[in-house]
Amino acid sequence: MTPTAATPAVSADTTDDTVPAVRLDHVSKEFNGSHAVRDLDLEIAPGEFFSLLGPSGCGKTTTLRMIGGFADPTEGAVLLSGEDVTALPPNRRNVNTVFQSYALFDHLSVADNIAFGLKRKGVPKPEIGERVGAMIDLVQLGGMAERKPRTLSGGQRQRVALARALVNRPAVLLLDEPLAALDLKLRRQMQVELKQIQREVGITFVFVTHDQDEALTMSDRVAVMNGGRVEQCGTPEDVYERPESRFVAAFMGTSNLVSGVYRDGAVQLEGGPALPVGPRPGVGEGSVVDLSIRPEKIWLSDFEPGMPVVNGVIRETVYSGPTTTYLIELAPGVTVAALEQNTARARMEDRWEGGETVELGYDPDHCLVLGH
Amino acid sequence: MVVLFSFNAQKSLTVFKGFSLRWYEAFFHDNVLLGSLGMSLEVSLVAMAGSVVLGVALALGLVRNKGRLGTYAGLIMMVPLITPEIVTGVASLLLFKGLGITLNTGTVMIAEITFSISYVTVILRSRVAALNPEVEEAAMDLGATRWQALRLVTLPALLPAILASAVLIFALVFDDFVLAYFTTGVDPQPLAVRIYSAIRFGVEPTINAVGTLMLAGSITLIGLALAIPRLFGRRGGLDLISGE
Ligand SMILES: Nc1ncnc2c1ncn2[C@@H]1O[C@H](COP(=O)(O)OP(=O)(O)OP(=O)(O)O)[C@@H](O)[C@H]1O
Ligand SMILES: [Mg+2]
Repeated sequence: MTPTAATPAVSADTTDDTVPAVRLDHVSKEFNGSHAVRDLDLEIAPGEFFSLLGPSGCGKTTTLRMIGGFADPTEGAVLLSGEDVTALPPNRRNVNTVFQSYALFDHLSVADNIAFGLKRKGVPKPEIGERVGAMIDLVQLGGMAERKPRTLSGGQRQRVALARALVNRPAVLLLDEPLAALDLKLRRQMQVELKQIQREVGITFVFVTHDQDEALTMSDRVAVMNGGRVEQCGTPEDVYERPESRFVAAFMGTSNLVSGVYRDGAVQLEGGPALPVGPRPGVGEGSVVDLSIRPEKIWLSDFEPGMPVVNGVIRETVYSGPTTTYLIELAPGVTVAALEQNTARARMEDRWEGGETVELGYDPDHCLVLGH
Repeated sequence: MVVLFSFNAQKSLTVFKGFSLRWYEAFFHDNVLLGSLGMSLEVSLVAMAGSVVLGVALALGLVRNKGRLGTYAGLIMMVPLITPEIVTGVASLLLFKGLGITLNTGTVMIAEITFSISYVTVILRSRVAALNPEVEEAAMDLGATRWQALRLVTLPALLPAILASAVLIFALVFDDFVLAYFTTGVDPQPLAVRIYSAIRFGVEPTINAVGTLMLAGSITLIGLALAIPRLFGRRGGLDLISGE
């Protein structure tokens, strides 16, 4: 915390990689007897871009508020850089928050908004001016320092909120759906910028979103939440390619779910083929299961040796620019979607039409078998 | 009529005999009336300050205390607004007498503050409710204590409404007759009460002059109260009727 003119605009306080920047130790939060967050156990490493992903009401904001100090856990402890801060108020925690509503101070100029935290800490005036100036450059708000927040566009206000938090060089930055209020195009642009800024400043980001694309593209790790619990926590690839539960499989993009009976390492569809999935320890012989596989993991040609291949009938062909989706019936009433890339090599004439019988191939490793 | 005859050159209240400022001059040489003016100003300023401080605190408390207590307190706040002022006046008088307190400037102030708090609270309450709670949290997130967050963020956001209600209370208290009549001592008396007693002994043109001055003052103040939110250039300014 002794910045000189040569230091970058922001730098993380903690550089000790062995102690997690944030640790939630079996944290629960009850509101009037109902659990908003249940037995959350998370470790977030310093410098990590960590996302909390889940549908509305799953407890993302509540989790963030407990890290920030705005909500007290009913049970468990919150640790920041190894220090138990459960009982500390927000102003005594080395974290800053970008609120979903931005929560800018409307009576203050952009520069005064950004300087607010530094003034509270008693940072000397010349240094405040320097750091605020550097921050305004970092978030590309040059020339707007004296404007009032109300005269700014949504994207600009978002940047002020980000700058106001980042300028304090917190160990951890909490962001509650910071891009939700922006239109799609601006949102994509801000996703890239936010990620760049995070790399530049090296601060731990805890990022809340209910947009799975956003979580996948930006995060180092994602925790998928449902009903106050973490269903799965891992890299974007982990949670997308290897979902561990029905919820995660369904929430992370489209997924096919077909029901059948598990027998001899295959899922037998009623009135249709058996789909080999390999041995599944923990799934009982003869039990009813759901098989989940993503549309882009189904092959329609150029099968690899040893790959299970079954027959199906094309029911519908949906062309959508770079991809074509086929709806294929495997058994009466059992339809799966298969996605093909319309690459340079794929010729339009080769597309299948409704009623044609095709072969489907897949890798059993891409199948998730879920007991009922 | 009052305005017109306050500029009359003659003492007559029926015939206008030419323009003159002599009654205004007479007023500024009348020590009893000037004493009353001084007292009225003093009472209005104290009542304004007192009711604004208490009213703002109450409005913050009521909005943030969503429990049963807050609801009841909110209802009680409405009582002075719907009670006829004369009832409040008599009640105050009985209270002061019952407690054996001599009526003087202080008793007028207390009565006026009690009466005005409700106005401030009602006006401020909806503004407080419209505040985004995340803004105060943001201040604390940035290192402010609860008190600093209130002072540096919440009060500035409420400033237009606070100033507007302050001006309004000043005007209401300054012009108030009924409550002042029941709670004032003999000397000095608030201007409104003094005027009333003066009229009972026949209307002096001086009183016309005073009346005209009070009218002009009130209109200016009410205009100011309505203009304040606009001076701050904010949308969602203050509507004195709905308070929204
Ligand atoms: N102050 C509160 N009082 C009572 N219940 C609350 C409170 N805050 C949150 N809850 C409840 O806790 C649950 C989780 O809320 P939370 O705001 O954490 O969800 P979220 O994941 O952020 O949802 P969203 O995506 O809609 O913002 C919800 O069922 C909500 O109704
Ligand atoms: Mg939320």
